[in-house]
Amino acid sequence: MDEEDGAINVSPLIDVVFILLIFFIVSATFVNLPGIDVSRPKVQNASSLQKNSVLFALSDKSEIFHSGKIVKLSDVSPLINKAMKDKNKPVVIQVDKWADATVLTELVSEAKKVAHSVSLATLKNR
Amino acid sequence: MKKNLVNHKSEQTEINVSPLIDMVFILLIFFIVATSFVNEIGISSAYKDSNSKSDNPKPPLFFNLSGSGQVINNGTTIGLEGVAAKVRNFSTHEPPSVIIQVSKGAKAGLATQVMDQALLAGAKAVKLSVDSK
Repeated sequence: MDEEDGAINVSPLIDVVFILLIFFIVSATFVNLPGIDVSRPKVQNASSLQKNSVLFALSDKSEIFHSGKIVKLSDVSPLINKAMKDKNKPVVIQVDKWADATVLTELVSEAKKVAHSVSLATLKNR
Repeated sequence: MKKNLVNHKSEQTEINVSPLIDMVFILLIFFIVATSFVNEIGISSAYKDSNSKSDNPKPPLFFNLSGSGQVINNGTTIGLEGVAAKVRNFSTHEPPSVIIQVSKGAKAGLATQVMDQALLAGAKAVKLSVDSK
């Protein structure tokens, strides 16, 4: 008898764990977070943006952040190209509401050169 | 007696899977932690590139954002509340495209809110551009 031996049959457990493991390996998309917290603007018709995007942040001092570092405006499109690896991901810009709008404009147009979709991350207005 | 002996034998030939389970669990936990589900909400302006103007014969609707945070349309200050009404009344046939010209010093939060209001009022495309003046 199995119970007498005190051994639990672990094969189903291993099966389940393996399936979970494979699911998480496949779905793991290592997103490079910009690395700063911005105070997002409040808007009324925000919708859910696509996941698995290239993230940029624009701080309140109008510095552009990508994966924890300050980047120059001219480096933005090479960085997007590098992050996309010919998969054409959307670009999401986390913009601080006190950032300069001209810098935002330049950043959006720079990102627009290489990405098919550029979105601004906001807060949902409640 | 014989049954016990058989049981004993089969136990000896079993592979010890505990280290395997340990390893798999560690990998599983690593991938669970590493998977960052970034769920952003926001607005997509979905505008065409500024070069492709040929398919858009209608003149766009211009808003200017001054450095002091005013929203100006046609020389009059309308404020953020007036944007939606302007977009709605601009054309009866089709929703207009909107171009927001921002001056140096204007805040990105205001520009985003103007974009949002314009999109809310049904603008087909919203574009930001820098006011060169």
